[in-house]
Amino acid sequence: MTKKKLQAIACWLAVMIVGFVLINALVYVGVIDAFIENMLVTIGINIILATGLNLIIGFSGQFSLGHAGFMAVGAYATGIILQAMPTTVGFFVSIVVGIAIAIVVAIIIGIPTLRLSGDYLAIATMGAAEIIRVVINNMKVTNGAAGLFNIPQFATWPVVYIFVCLTTAVIVNFAHSRAGRAIQAIRDDEIAAEAVGINPTKWKLAAFVLGASTAAVAGSLHASYIQTIAPTDFGIMNSIAMLIIVVLGGVGSMTGTFFAAVVLGVLDTVLQSFGTLRMVIYAVALIVIMVFKPTGLLGRYEFSFARVLDRFRKKKEDAA
Amino acid sequence: MTTLLKVDHVSKIFGGLKAVEDVSMHVETGELVALIGPNGAGKTTLFNALTGVSPATEGTVAFRVGDEMVSLDKKKPYQVAKMGIARTFQNIRLFHQLSVRENLQAAMTHRYKEGFVSSILRLPAFAKQEALANKWTDEILAKLDLTDVADVITANLPYGTQRRIEIARAVATDPQLIFLDEPAAGMNPEETADLAHLIKRLQTEFGLTVVLIEHDMSLVMSLAERIYVLEHGKLIAEGTPSEIQHNDAVINAYLGGGVHA
Repeated sequence: MTKKKLQAIACWLAVMIVGFVLINALVYVGVIDAFIENMLVTIGINIILATGLNLIIGFSGQFSLGHAGFMAVGAYATGIILQAMPTTVGFFVSIVVGIAIAIVVAIIIGIPTLRLSGDYLAIATMGAAEIIRVVINNMKVTNGAAGLFNIPQFATWPVVYIFVCLTTAVIVNFAHSRAGRAIQAIRDDEIAAEAVGINPTKWKLAAFVLGASTAAVAGSLHASYIQTIAPTDFGIMNSIAMLIIVVLGGVGSMTGTFFAAVVLGVLDTVLQSFGTLRMVIYAVALIVIMVFKPTGLLGRYEFSFARVLDRFRKKKEDAA
Repeated sequence: MTTLLKVDHVSKIFGGLKAVEDVSMHVETGELVALIGPNGAGKTTLFNALTGVSPATEGTVAFRVGDEMVSLDKKKPYQVAKMGIARTFQNIRLFHQLSVRENLQAAMTHRYKEGFVSSILRLPAFAKQEALANKWTDEILAKLDLTDVADVITANLPYGTQRRIEIARAVATDPQLIFLDEPAAGMNPEETADLAHLIKRLQTEFGLTVVLIEHDMSLVMSLAERIYVLEHGKLIAEGTPSEIQHNDAVINAYLGGGVHA
């Protein structure tokens, strides 16, 4: 039992390392140029954002549209701190500060709004994210509507890659633990969950706060990679862009989120050459996928090494 | 025998409607008590008031924890559940997207701890706690004959099995008292017979105190040691099955007629 789980963990670690080496090699050979690297980093940041949002929407069943607000918190924490302290240490300090602020903000927003559900919660979280944006728009330290420029670049692609692995591990492991079962129970039936001793407020808040803090990490990486941020980067359309990734991949499937983030990232890059037609083709692609696969590309399917190893072992036994 | 649950003058008022009016009852440790009454008598409302789902307007409810009676007033449903009162629902409320095993483990949330850090880093402490929860789950699944369907998503299972899973999930909270709200609703005679056997086992094998709401009189009369009868929110009779069968007020409530008690 435990041995099987350790093998699965080893497989995941191997995949992460192989992925890293592979991308490194392709960069070295020159297959991945600055253009493709930019695409990979954007996909990575979107994966961090969307897995966190999928935890909130797909696993705890809270329809939140305020994810861009938490991203803004992380981005501005990094932008401001890096300008005062342009070192690697400063970068990591800024990520931690961003997470801390996002946690506090998520608790303040979460306690009153998580009493709501469905459309009402979506509107309330959207409003909360707008408040964050408007506050940033009117503060001196954030340089108001003009935003921050010349943020030193510490978030190179290896840094983003490592953070994608870290945040995904945190979120997936959280979802497959006591906490994950509690939040999924609340999603399926809140009254029944309460009747079996689960405190819904506590667990919903836990999922919301964890999702918000990974969004802050994504914001930090975004700020330090793009090097320029403005309040308009974190509007409602950004929250919806993340929602699209979650819905398209399959609500409740982390594998789907990865898949959708990659598909949309590549699609977006490939369509660059189509000029203004790009958004039309992109929209048509979304509609087609939603019509033929309403539960998202992967539905609720979750890739699992433990299962693959099981099947592999069974085949071996059959052969023997 | 000691009193496990004591209900004192409980009323539940919705606007001008008195759904439950001045109900006093007691449940002794280890008993199997039934609560019956015509449709709309306030049975489920009383259950909801006792388990904190919709708190009583008046009156007090006390539950034995160790040697003391602890008041359940103002306790949230999850706090009531943690104290050792489990329940099932009239309309099945399973965590339908989760497997049977996950349903039971979700109900054990308050019985074991997994730190945030140890669960995200998959430390040995996490594995130990997961193994503990799995052991508890396997025991309950085996006892309730659910081992075969352990990893099936509950929405895909037949109705009778779903009912049994709801009971299994209530047992998974490690309760002392279990409220069953119409467990035989929608079951065929064969399934009802199995259910009667299961409810009896909850009392004998699991050592639980059972309070049962049920319309199936053969089930109630064969199982219950004591029966409370509710009508229009008021308690109209209390006694053993044979006493209740010959009680004029009860006959009147169920069949109507000119008998005035």
